[in-house]
Amino acid sequence: MKQKMKKLAVFMICAVLLGSVPTLVFAQRDITGRVTDVEKDKPLEGATVFENISKNSTVTGRDGSFSLRVATNAKTVTVSYVGYGTMTVPITGSELVVKLSEDFSKLSEVVVTGLATSIKRSNLANSVGTINAKQLTGSTRPVTLDGAMQGKISGAQISANSGAPGGGFSVRLRGVSSINQNSEPLYIIDGVYASNAQNATGAGTGPFSGATGQTSGTQDQAPNRLADLNPADIENIEILKGPSAAAIYGTRANAGVIIITTKKGKAGRTSISLSQDIGTVKALNLIGMHKTPWDAQKIADGSWLVSNAAMLALFNANGAGAQTTDYEKIAYGNTGFHTNTKLSISGGTDKAKMYAAVGRLSETGIQKRTGYSRSSVRVNVDFKPTTWWDLGVATNYLNSNSDRSFSGNDNNGVSLGYNLAYLPNWLDQKPVNGIYPANPLTGQNPLEIIDKGINNERVNRIISSFTSTIYLLRKEKQSLKFNIQGGIDYVHQQNVVVMPEDVQFQQQRANPGAARFSSTRSTNTNFQGFLVYNTEIKKFNLTTSLGATRLDQNNRVQWFQGEGIPAGTNNPRTGLVQLSFLDNGRLHEEGLVAQQEVNWDDKIIATGAIRRDRSTLNVDKNKFYNFPKASLALNLANFDFWKIKAVNLFKLRAAYGETGNSATYGSVFNSLATAAIGGSTGFVTPTSIGNPTIAPERASEFEFGLDANFLDSRITFEGTVYNKKVKDFIDVFNLSPGTGVNSFTAFNVGDFTNKGIELALGGTVIKKTNLRWNTNINWYNNRTKITRMIIPEKPVAASGFGAFGTQRQRVGFSPTAWYGSPNVNGSPTIYEDAQPKWQASWSNNISFAKNFEFAFLFHHSHKNFNSSLNQELTDEGGTSPDWSTKNSAGVPLGLARQLGQPGVTTRQFIQDATFTKLREVSLYYTIPKSVYTKSSAFKAIEQVRVGVSAQNVFVITNYYGYDPEGANFGNRPTIAPVDLLSFPAARRMYFHFNVNF
Amino acid sequence: MINITKYIIPAVVFASVAFSSCKKEDFEVATELDPNAAPTALYLTNANKAQIKQLGTGLQGVVRSAFLDFGRVTGTVGREIIYSASTDNRYFTELLGTNVAQYGGTAAGANDPAGIFNTYYAAYSQTRRRAEQFIIAVNNTNSISAAEKNAVIGFSKTIQAYVTLNLANMQGKNGIRESFTDLFSPGDLLKPGKFGTYATALAVCKKYADDGLAALNAAGTTAFPFAINSGYGSFNNPAEFKKFNRAIAARIAMYQMDWPGMSAALAASFLDLSGNLKAGPSFIFSTAPNDITNGLFHVPNSSGAPYVVFNEFIAGAEAGDTRVFGSAAKVGVRTSPRQSGAFTSTHESRLYASNTTSAPIIKNEELILMYAEANVQLGGVTNIANAVSAINTIRISNGLLGYTGAITAPALIDEILKQRSYSLFFEGHRWFDMRRYNRLNQILPQGTIGGNNFVVFEAMSRPDAEVQWDIANP
Repeated sequence: MKQKMKKLAVFMICAVLLGSVPTLVFAQRDITGRVTDVEKDKPLEGATVFENISKNSTVTGRDGSFSLRVATNAKTVTVSYVGYGTMTVPITGSELVVKLSEDFSKLSEVVVTGLATSIKRSNLANSVGTINAKQLTGSTRPVTLDGAMQGKISGAQISANSGAPGGGFSVRLRGVSSINQNSEPLYIIDGVYASNAQNATGAGTGPFSGATGQTSGTQDQAPNRLADLNPADIENIEILKGPSAAAIYGTRANAGVIIITTKKGKAGRTSISLSQDIGTVKALNLIGMHKTPWDAQKIADGSWLVSNAAMLALFNANGAGAQTTDYEKIAYGNTGFHTNTKLSISGGTDKAKMYAAVGRLSETGIQKRTGYSRSSVRVNVDFKPTTWWDLGVATNYLNSNSDRSFSGNDNNGVSLGYNLAYLPNWLDQKPVNGIYPANPLTGQNPLEIIDKGINNERVNRIISSFTSTIYLLRKEKQSLKFNIQGGIDYVHQQNVVVMPEDVQFQQQRANPGAARFSSTRSTNTNFQGFLVYNTEIKKFNLTTSLGATRLDQNNRVQWFQGEGIPAGTNNPRTGLVQLSFLDNGRLHEEGLVAQQEVNWDDKIIATGAIRRDRSTLNVDKNKFYNFPKASLALNLANFDFWKIKAVNLFKLRAAYGETGNSATYGSVFNSLATAAIGGSTGFVTPTSIGNPTIAPERASEFEFGLDANFLDSRITFEGTVYNKKVKDFIDVFNLSPGTGVNSFTAFNVGDFTNKGIELALGGTVIKKTNLRWNTNINWYNNRTKITRMIIPEKPVAASGFGAFGTQRQRVGFSPTAWYGSPNVNGSPTIYEDAQPKWQASWSNNISFAKNFEFAFLFHHSHKNFNSSLNQELTDEGGTSPDWSTKNSAGVPLGLARQLGQPGVTTRQFIQDATFTKLREVSLYYTIPKSVYTKSSAFKAIEQVRVGVSAQNVFVITNYYGYDPEGANFGNRPTIAPVDLLSFPAARRMYFHFNVNF
Repeated sequence: MINITKYIIPAVVFASVAFSSCKKEDFEVATELDPNAAPTALYLTNANKAQIKQLGTGLQGVVRSAFLDFGRVTGTVGREIIYSASTDNRYFTELLGTNVAQYGGTAAGANDPAGIFNTYYAAYSQTRRRAEQFIIAVNNTNSISAAEKNAVIGFSKTIQAYVTLNLANMQGKNGIRESFTDLFSPGDLLKPGKFGTYATALAVCKKYADDGLAALNAAGTTAFPFAINSGYGSFNNPAEFKKFNRAIAARIAMYQMDWPGMSAALAASFLDLSGNLKAGPSFIFSTAPNDITNGLFHVPNSSGAPYVVFNEFIAGAEAGDTRVFGSAAKVGVRTSPRQSGAFTSTHESRLYASNTTSAPIIKNEELILMYAEANVQLGGVTNIANAVSAINTIRISNGLLGYTGAITAPALIDEILKQRSYSLFFEGHRWFDMRRYNRLNQILPQGTIGGNNFVVFEAMSRPDAEVQWDIANP
């Protein structure tokens, strides 16, 4: 009720304000003109022409022409078009011809930096990454957002935590932002704080793969919810990488902010675009573990899951190696089929614009019975009822369905990677009349899991936002606008995990037949109001913003599980043993923002801001925490003294900012734990207790940069160095376990730093009418070091498995480095770092012969190390290809490398995962209009484009495993890529067809 | 000039809108209370009867929390069983002592201090603390009588004696943290007690047991102010529970080699030389929500992660021993032998029929064997005769003939240790029995097998978290 009252109040006040807006009347006249591309001389349809005194604007028609009513005393109009440089031109002649040139340097691109303000890229004091629709999905069509972003953001490490369809991913911007708390960036979609939660499914629990205990779902390999988004709907992504750029977002922005803007309607002719992709999905790389030869000698040499004698007996009973089966190929050799259909309609007038799109993507995986599909409907509407009021509504409904099978860590022989490693190629596992031969080794027939296990996820999601801007004051040299923005993100996720009772390993459980049905509902709502005042005094342009924001989250996780479910049903209520679970979470946060921007003639641009946040996640929920920022950009090339014509932009920039990160929900509570016995339930005191002094962890960042553009921006350079310090990072405070309390749930325990360099060099290598080649090289690195810690040194939580390598929190060292045996003076040995020494990407776009466009993207990660159990698992199982090769002592390698063998330490498991990937390659052909306009039936067609593309074309690496980027626990704050033969990465090849009307 | 009025009026209006969204009562929409559980503070001061009851149930529940890990670790180190996990060989490499050199040799440690074998340590320490907090809760309320408070204290102290003994035995020569300070002060957790020796750890256990006895005596004929689960059978009131307390006291005295004390404690326990060998309190399990199941059960002939038996255990058994052979045996022949690294096992544990089968905490069979041992150690003709008689009770009950060996103390101790290893198989005794008689070198198999050196631990490593704590807090 309270809330409704308030919203009502807001609208009433708006209405009052509207009534008081002065009517703007000018003496006016009409002008006409045409907007074209400077090089190709083709008309630009949909370009915006704006006149600043009357504030009138219009858009160009199909032939690029426009007519606009302007103020009598108007001297100039400003013309802008997406992807082109904005021009302000004098009004001359009877017909004004404006020739825009494509803006490859993106200098005039507008970047959203504040919550209600934006700035031209050329005036930006931070390195803000942007990915536009063309870069995102213009070349190939990655299924989820992670794939679409990989290799395209300098300063980011993006890792998939499973190659399984619809799988999750994690994004780390500028190294490590937290050791133990949320470290995923904040995602904002059209102003909505979007959920990126990773909700447990139970697939990793005892009754299923057994990676974790009975109920906890920490190793379920669940995807995070950003995977729901349809990349094709995205117009633009901006990445505020560190606190210096993201300070205005306060306590949600410690790990950076990713601002996603979806496609909006363009005024002008209604255009319809239909695109169809079809493609194939295949495993990028297989190990070939079932091509490994076997003989009696090998069986005698090795050590197996059954005695050597029993193994030999099995071997002989199965034909002594005469007949082999490539089970790896059966498991992962499926060729998936991909279809992606999208229809979008855009159009309207300058008063009302609409964009509507429907899309359906469906894909089958490299493993039989896996796949992913997604349907999305989007309607974005923008109104401009009067010159002083802008209104917009964006709504997106998403529905996805994925079948991911079981590919994580495992103790039941369920996870395919595990099972295949221990499966000799001569053992007969193929079903006969629906009967799956039992596996006497791992206790589970892998083909049975492929055919019978269910790990399904369905998501229904609505992301909807509303924005309104009212110009309270609008004069030539000053304006005041009132902007409100609100949004909701509602996610309902349903998971079904089933292991039927007749599955081999279920038969060995006390109550065979298990199913878990989970339902996770989360509602995020946010609302903000801002006043933005802009004035020009002489050459100074001043912008003041004042605003308030609020955010509410409400989550409920429920599941119901049955064990001992009889054949023929999956309903847990038929189970002999039933378990259920319910967990609530809710939070409320408020922020106040003040920001001042000063721009002196595009020469010096300074910004100062402060954000104050309070949150129910803090013990004192009424306490405000302050997050300041300040930045300065010096555009030297805009000064009069600048004489170097060849350098058209030379900008020095510096920025400082602070952000925060509150402790995870629940960290302040001190609650009893439940323990039952003998049919009654009781309580015991907790083993991890709430901390009454917890404060948000805080990151501060200095960023310095130099941007230079040469030869009219034909060559661009951007260089940035940063120092991001995380102070009072929150961690579990491990107590002496002998006290009977393991830890304080959250404690501010220390500091660490991230230092890094980001370099970008771009340019138009060839610039001819029939041949244009744009290229862009990014190089970046990051180093993390713990500088202070008040707690004892300890392993990073859940970062690995003891002797197979674990990360550690040790002062003076990187928290992403690996540690392991041998222990020297009681202390584990340090190995290499999971963070790459550096990364680089090289993207290219070549248009030639008028109608062809060729693009490719390489990505290299240098000296990043995984804790890899791939070799160990295949050695133990006898399936590593070089198993029988003898070492200098005459021992087969497959035996000598195993943990427990003399001289084998953690060194064996920390593996160099350096790789070079051709992530994307594409070739498109635009069919000349003359081909089809001859027939009147096709006259309405504006453009027909066909193309072929591929994603993850090849990888160059010495890494042993399916994918050097594969990691079972990739979503840990410290990255921690632990590879247990995780699901193979897929190579996707597509054919594209696109027609516009 | 800037039009000030047009700027300021809406600004003021807006500011009032913006700030009105921060009104106090609105901010309290989000609650400070955990929506998922009950707050601790409510139970530790002025607890009502129902809350005392719940704390009593909770404590009984968590006494079992180390059952799985303790059984698995002691069973493996004592070379009784192997947890033959097909996907984790650390249970039959590291736990059998292959990596001792990597962790500083036997002098410093045995297993990976930061590894997976420390679950028992936290679990037993937690139960010890939770029992202490149960005592604090009853001392901070007037909802129950003084006698009932004593009943709770007696129960809690006995539980502390049981779990602390297991903890002390696992840590052996490394000792344990012996004291708490004031549990209510927030800083208390930052000042854990110092590590003592094995001997002082046992003294702490003895004090728990003796204090427990005193409180149970003071409780008189009152009933426990909480439901006591069926696993305690007839030991469900303070008067009878004392016999369980004394059984634990006898066990502590045995490790202290306090033979007269052991004799006295046994006399006050539920020892019954002619009674049911299986009599005694036990842990019960169920599949009910929030309850736990018996993790030491596995489906017969499972190839997932069975508890297989060392062949030495089978080979060492006398013919006709019903504990090893026959339909009621504790072990059974697998349909196919199981390989666990260097070891092949023909048999597996069949100790528990299902995952809800109860497990003894301490049983009459153990008391009879303790009685025999105390008598041998005390010496003298009558005592020795009593010992032989007790040994024969065990032998004959388990399908064997009477003892025919030498009637000397060393021979009888040999016999008692042997009977203990079969009578108390996989119940957490053999490793400690061999250690207290300095016979770790007799635990087989050990030494070099198939290129690896297998070492029997003297004690479990002190957990890394403790080592690091002491480094950081000298």
